[in-house]
Amino acid sequence: MSLRFLPQDMNWTCTHCGVPLQPGMVELHYMDNVFKVELPVCPKCSAVLIPEELALGRILEVEQLLEDK
Amino acid sequence: MEQRELRLLEERCIQEEPPACRAGCPLGVDGRSFARAIAREDLAEARTILEKSMPLVGIVGRLCEAPCEKYCLRREFGGSIALGALERFCLNSVPTKGKILRLPLRAKKVRIIGSGPSSLTAAFDLAKKGYPVTVFHTAGGPGAWLRSVNASILPAQVLEEELARLISLGVELQQAATLDAALSAAGTADAWYIGQDDTLAADLLAMLAAPDMETFALATAGLFTGGLCPADHPFRLITDVSQGREAAVSIDRFLQGASLTASRVALRHGHTDLFTETKDVVIRQRIVATDAAGYTAQEAISEADRCLDCQCLECVKHCVYLAEFGAYPKTYARRVYNNSAIVKGIHQANRFINSCTLCGQCETICPKDFSMAELCLDARKLMVRENRMPASAHWFALEEMRAATGETALVRHAPSTTTSKTMFFPGCQLAGIRPEQSLRLYEHLLSLEPQTGIWLDCCGAPAHWAGRDEEFSALRARLQKIWDDMGRPRVVTACSTCLQMFREHLPDIKVHSVWTEMATVPVVDASSRPPRPPHPPLALSDPCTSRNDPTTRQAVRSLLTAMGQELAPLTMDGELTECCGFGGLLENANPELSKKMRAARVTQSDADFLTYCAMCRDQLAKAGKPVLHLLDLLFPETALAANEPPASLSTRRANRGILKNKLLQGFGADELPAKAPWEDLPLVISPATEALLEERRILHDDIRQVLFHAAEGTTSLQHGASTLRLASARLGAVTFWVQYRMVDDSYHIDRCWSHRMTIHPGGAA
Repeated sequence: MSLRFLPQDMNWTCTHCGVPLQPGMVELHYMDNVFKVELPVCPKCSAVLIPEELALGRILEVEQLLEDK
Repeated sequence: MEQRELRLLEERCIQEEPPACRAGCPLGVDGRSFARAIAREDLAEARTILEKSMPLVGIVGRLCEAPCEKYCLRREFGGSIALGALERFCLNSVPTKGKILRLPLRAKKVRIIGSGPSSLTAAFDLAKKGYPVTVFHTAGGPGAWLRSVNASILPAQVLEEELARLISLGVELQQAATLDAALSAAGTADAWYIGQDDTLAADLLAMLAAPDMETFALATAGLFTGGLCPADHPFRLITDVSQGREAAVSIDRFLQGASLTASRVALRHGHTDLFTETKDVVIRQRIVATDAAGYTAQEAISEADRCLDCQCLECVKHCVYLAEFGAYPKTYARRVYNNSAIVKGIHQANRFINSCTLCGQCETICPKDFSMAELCLDARKLMVRENRMPASAHWFALEEMRAATGETALVRHAPSTTTSKTMFFPGCQLAGIRPEQSLRLYEHLLSLEPQTGIWLDCCGAPAHWAGRDEEFSALRARLQKIWDDMGRPRVVTACSTCLQMFREHLPDIKVHSVWTEMATVPVVDASSRPPRPPHPPLALSDPCTSRNDPTTRQAVRSLLTAMGQELAPLTMDGELTECCGFGGLLENANPELSKKMRAARVTQSDADFLTYCAMCRDQLAKAGKPVLHLLDLLFPETALAANEPPASLSTRRANRGILKNKLLQGFGADELPAKAPWEDLPLVISPATEALLEERRILHDDIRQVLFHAAEGTTSLQHGASTLRLASARLGAVTFWVQYRMVDDSYHIDRCWSHRMTIHPGGAA
């Protein structure tokens, strides 16, 4: 999985903390596999944004690949 | 599955059995492929097919009397394919590609006395295997009676070419004054063949007893004979050629010290297990050549085109799933076996295994009862046991099942009673899709038997279909206990799947179909309304789980007859009925294929459909077909229109809760179950978003939970200064995302998506 998934539109704010999301490193785990990726993250509470295109594109693809392994 | 089991299973699929023509050819020439090649004008390929099985093809192909034609299935439909004439056409039209491959030279020598067709065949086959072969012929030249065949049939030049080919294979053609006993004493050889289809001297003939007619071996080791066919026999040439070939097989085995008979493939004499359906074959008369010399190209192509291309494929013809993956059960069995054997690497057949609806149609159709359901279900169980079943394959259906056996389940004796003679088990799909009609049906059953309790639950079919033995067995034990606790009443169900599951997996429970109950005691309309006129003829689609239940199928038909409802003919009904695309959890594992399946089903009749399975009703309706449920006819006051849109997943889930609550209210004393804190969050969802949710299998309840949890502290984002919000929460094995706007205290849902990966903060770059 390529490492950088920052959407063009980064204009999101964490409702709980009131701070804008910033690029940050996140681990995605599935079936004992770990992928380190860069995503929009709340610098305060670490909330992460997974955009729709990523969830239904690359993430789904990798999930299905791992499920068939 | 063990290798041995695989082989037994493979043997049950007859698709690879030879077509009748090939089974009827002593040389095993693939007449079907040959005719198909000519029909598509690929003459070079046609010749290659002949050369693959035929020795001395220029001679044999021209003179063959074509016993295959006796067995051709086209015979009754305009006459057998003229394979003999097509062979001659082919050989006259395309030259050979040339060189014949020969194995490295062997030390052991073979001598052949006589040069008739059987001898030349034995020489050809043995020379190809690398044996040095000497053929003795008389002064007339090699070929014996072949030399006297009319040149218009066998030109002398062709005979010379074939003899030259033999020489090129290392065969020595040696002239002898007479073919007598002295010849066999003169030289040394490791094996001898005496071809009696030549002029042999009396002293040599006197030495020969009758050979074994399978191996053509004589009592003396190393001595073989053939070419025994009488000159006036209708299949003289091909019989002698066949004897030469069988003798060559024996000689090769003898020279290698092997048994002459062990694992020897016997001649089939036309016998094959291949089944070919001929009921729709249209008669086409055999093409007669206008020229005595044989077919023109156009005539040959037309004649070859009459070939039925004999195949079984009966199951594949009727099953969208079997056709989708491009092969047939024999190949599929191997595919499933290989998939299970993979230790490291991608399991390419997972999706294939999870795409069978387990409907059993193939087993009913197959002349050998091959069951894809058994194969796929066993494979699924193994996948679950070995912990390699894709988690997403059946996830949604299993969640639905868990909800139906949990929050929306209900078991009660009838109001104001403490025992039940009967329990009504509508089935979770009827409850979810037709809650009003479930209630109406329950009222009707109560009118027949006041001690009828209600049992809202799931029979566990999803766990069974998903191969989850452990979970299914726990569900069964639970159902058994509930039934015991309720005093072991008889159970009446409105769902064919529940009926099948109870019968097969909970044999203690005496279960009946509600339709057979109702066929016994007709519905009496207490009102004075005139009865409704029947619908125009309807195509009755039996649910696939009623395949082995003729009693219920008949009861439904009796009910319809009693109502004056006529039926339109439907291809594949009754025990041959087809699945709506939901069975075996296909809709979960492979939604695209499920869509194809229901689309294919509804094209089988122009009439509106009728069914007595709630799931079938909605599945077929999804294909845009007007479909009625039997309850729409039985209880017109609760009828929904044939074009009623299918209930969404969220509606079904909600309906089960509504039905339960209504029943509880009817029982008076019971308090309603406590509401979850998110249950009343007001949602506004456009039809386009509803369609998206349906496709992505996201329930309104999931959305409400996410919104609730986000407000309590899970991920909640807002876009710039706009009203656009994004909420996320993990519910079980899935993380859901909800994009929405708040308008007047309502959640206007924009888009939703989900993934199974889990998110963990941190991780250095």
